[in-house]
Amino acid sequence: MSPRREKLTSPQTRIALARGNRPAQHLLPIPEPVDTEAARRLFRAQRRTAARTVALLSVLLFGMSGAFAAFPVLGQIRAGGVPLSWLLLMVAAYPLLFALALWHVRSAERIEERAERERPGSGSGEQKR
Amino acid sequence: MISVLAIGLVVVTSLVIGVYGVRAARSTSDFLVASRRVSPTWNAMAIAGEYLSAASVLGLAGLVLKNGLGTMWYAVGFAAGYVAVVALVAGPMRRSGAFTVPDFAEYRLGAPRLRKLCGCVVLVIMLLYLVPQFKGAGVVLALVSGTPYWVGVLLAGLVVSGSIAAGGMRSATYVQAFHYVVKLVFLAVPAIYLVVHSSPHTRSEALTPERGTHFPEATPVEFTVGTRFSLDEPVTVTVPDGGEVELAAGEHIADAGTEYVFPEGATIPRPEGLPELGGERWSTPLLDVGGYPLFETWSALLAITLGCMGLPHVIMRFHTSPTARTARRVAVGVIALLGMFYLFPAVYGLLGRVLTPHLVLLQGTDTVAVVLPEQAVPGTVGAVLAALVAAGAFGAFLSTSSGLLLALAGGLSHDLFQGSVPRLRLAVAVGACVAVLLALPAQMTDINVLVVWAFTVAASTFSPLLVLGIWWRRLTLPGAASGLVVGTVTATGAVGWSMLLPTAGGWTSVLLAQPAAWTIPLAFATMMLVSRLTRPPDWAEHAVLRLHSP
Repeated sequence: MSPRREKLTSPQTRIALARGNRPAQHLLPIPEPVDTEAARRLFRAQRRTAARTVALLSVLLFGMSGAFAAFPVLGQIRAGGVPLSWLLLMVAAYPLLFALALWHVRSAERIEERAERERPGSGSGEQKR
Repeated sequence: MISVLAIGLVVVTSLVIGVYGVRAARSTSDFLVASRRVSPTWNAMAIAGEYLSAASVLGLAGLVLKNGLGTMWYAVGFAAGYVAVVALVAGPMRRSGAFTVPDFAEYRLGAPRLRKLCGCVVLVIMLLYLVPQFKGAGVVLALVSGTPYWVGVLLAGLVVSGSIAAGGMRSATYVQAFHYVVKLVFLAVPAIYLVVHSSPHTRSEALTPERGTHFPEATPVEFTVGTRFSLDEPVTVTVPDGGEVELAAGEHIADAGTEYVFPEGATIPRPEGLPELGGERWSTPLLDVGGYPLFETWSALLAITLGCMGLPHVIMRFHTSPTARTARRVAVGVIALLGMFYLFPAVYGLLGRVLTPHLVLLQGTDTVAVVLPEQAVPGTVGAVLAALVAAGAFGAFLSTSSGLLLALAGGLSHDLFQGSVPRLRLAVAVGACVAVLLALPAQMTDINVLVVWAFTVAASTFSPLLVLGIWWRRLTLPGAASGLVVGTVTATGAVGWSMLLPTAGGWTSVLLAQPAAWTIPLAFATMMLVSRLTRPPDWAEHAVLRLHSP
């Protein structure tokens, strides 16, 4: 009875082979939130902020283009030789977009900070960082 | 000659930075997202550098010249897209811990099969976006060095895939940050110089389009493709053998190879389907290609603003931030950098209408930013300025296409075949080959048409997936999958139809050419409706809440 030939591999190789061709599991497992109610409140607050920003963004974009269509006079008024509608589109739009994004980030961070502050008080026993 | 040198310098510097970054790339995580150690400033610059593609550097100026000022809405949309990213996806996407959109789909909905579907959508979007980049590189190289178009495209493919396959994202981060500076400076300096040094008459004419557009001097026009154009008044042109030909008012067809010299002061003939240069339709700041300005503007704005968040290479970038908070702040920085850049392309378009209007006849408006400086400032200064713009445009191409190729390679190897680094490098090479092959027949297609197509597909697929996945607990796997399929098929099909097949004209062709206004709501509605009919798993709410917990 001849002994069965056995392939010798290092432990790392065996692990790698056993894992097959799958990528390393880098996605985080999804634990239940420590305090589901608090997490829900946070989620809703963030959703309100996001909705507000998206609404303002739509007003800015659709409103400005709608104004160009509704009031052709914007193309006749000139500021420094440039038609007002051109100035609005070519220059003024960008600072407005930047300000809107900045405001959103401020609001979102404030909501997060408040949630962090409230966390120890909710009785979960987690240490404040 | 100077242009070739300037482009060479940009390429060599990029390669040096790229090779320098090789040391850092060890694992898939290193290769794809630079192990999340990139500083916020560098990151914002790299994102802006990657995002400002040939469409922004070359395409916008050309479109302003050709279709009018309303095309600057594209630029506003490109910047507004980041507001949507900040508000809706940047933070939560970073918290999900996913590398790519397909990763996110797997995290949120827990199904490997959806991941493959997402991988396919990534491929479609990335190819649609890569082709115009290679086209841009091809026309710039052909213009400055006189090489045929295909040589430029091929060379571009080699440089990009070489740099990426060697160093991955880490090197791409610094290469792209460098390219942002190159693009901004190389486009802004010539623009400012041209504005300051052009005559007051030229300036006032550029800002007063009512005066109509005439040839500024006797201009030889050599038609490289057959062109159908119309004349409002008769004009006498000179042909190469010295004879004179009287062109009557009305429709004309110039065959490829025809050469006319238009006299000074003649009105610019209007190619079929384009607005009169400097006319009412041209100077009204609304997108107007098919005759329904407000609808077209809104549809394009929807596509670009929502499409931005769905672009796989944009989303991937946010994983290079260490925390969700930084990811959001980085996105705000990007808006500032983009706003600064977008002040300049219109300058080329406006001056181009006065100084180089013949480009419209040649269907070569994508080259206006490079042609204009030489035309406006004769001599060495003009050549140097043109070289700067050409190098900037090539930088734009290099950075965007390296980011795109990386996302494409990520889609191919990480999501579709699940490989390790050597495979990823192979995928980069394969992706570059396909893009080059597709770019070869695209010489006459406008860069922006293709880019907006990519945005439309992204806005009709990944944008609903991300928005609903992040903000709506009830999204389910069948819902997401059916929405993705509906979005891909309608958005890709509609624009493809309008480009390749004849359309009836009127509303039909506008709805096909600018389909975002109906494909995006359709994709959202499909996802929500099918999700309502199916049950989300128990852990779905935890998955959503986790995305919003600091």
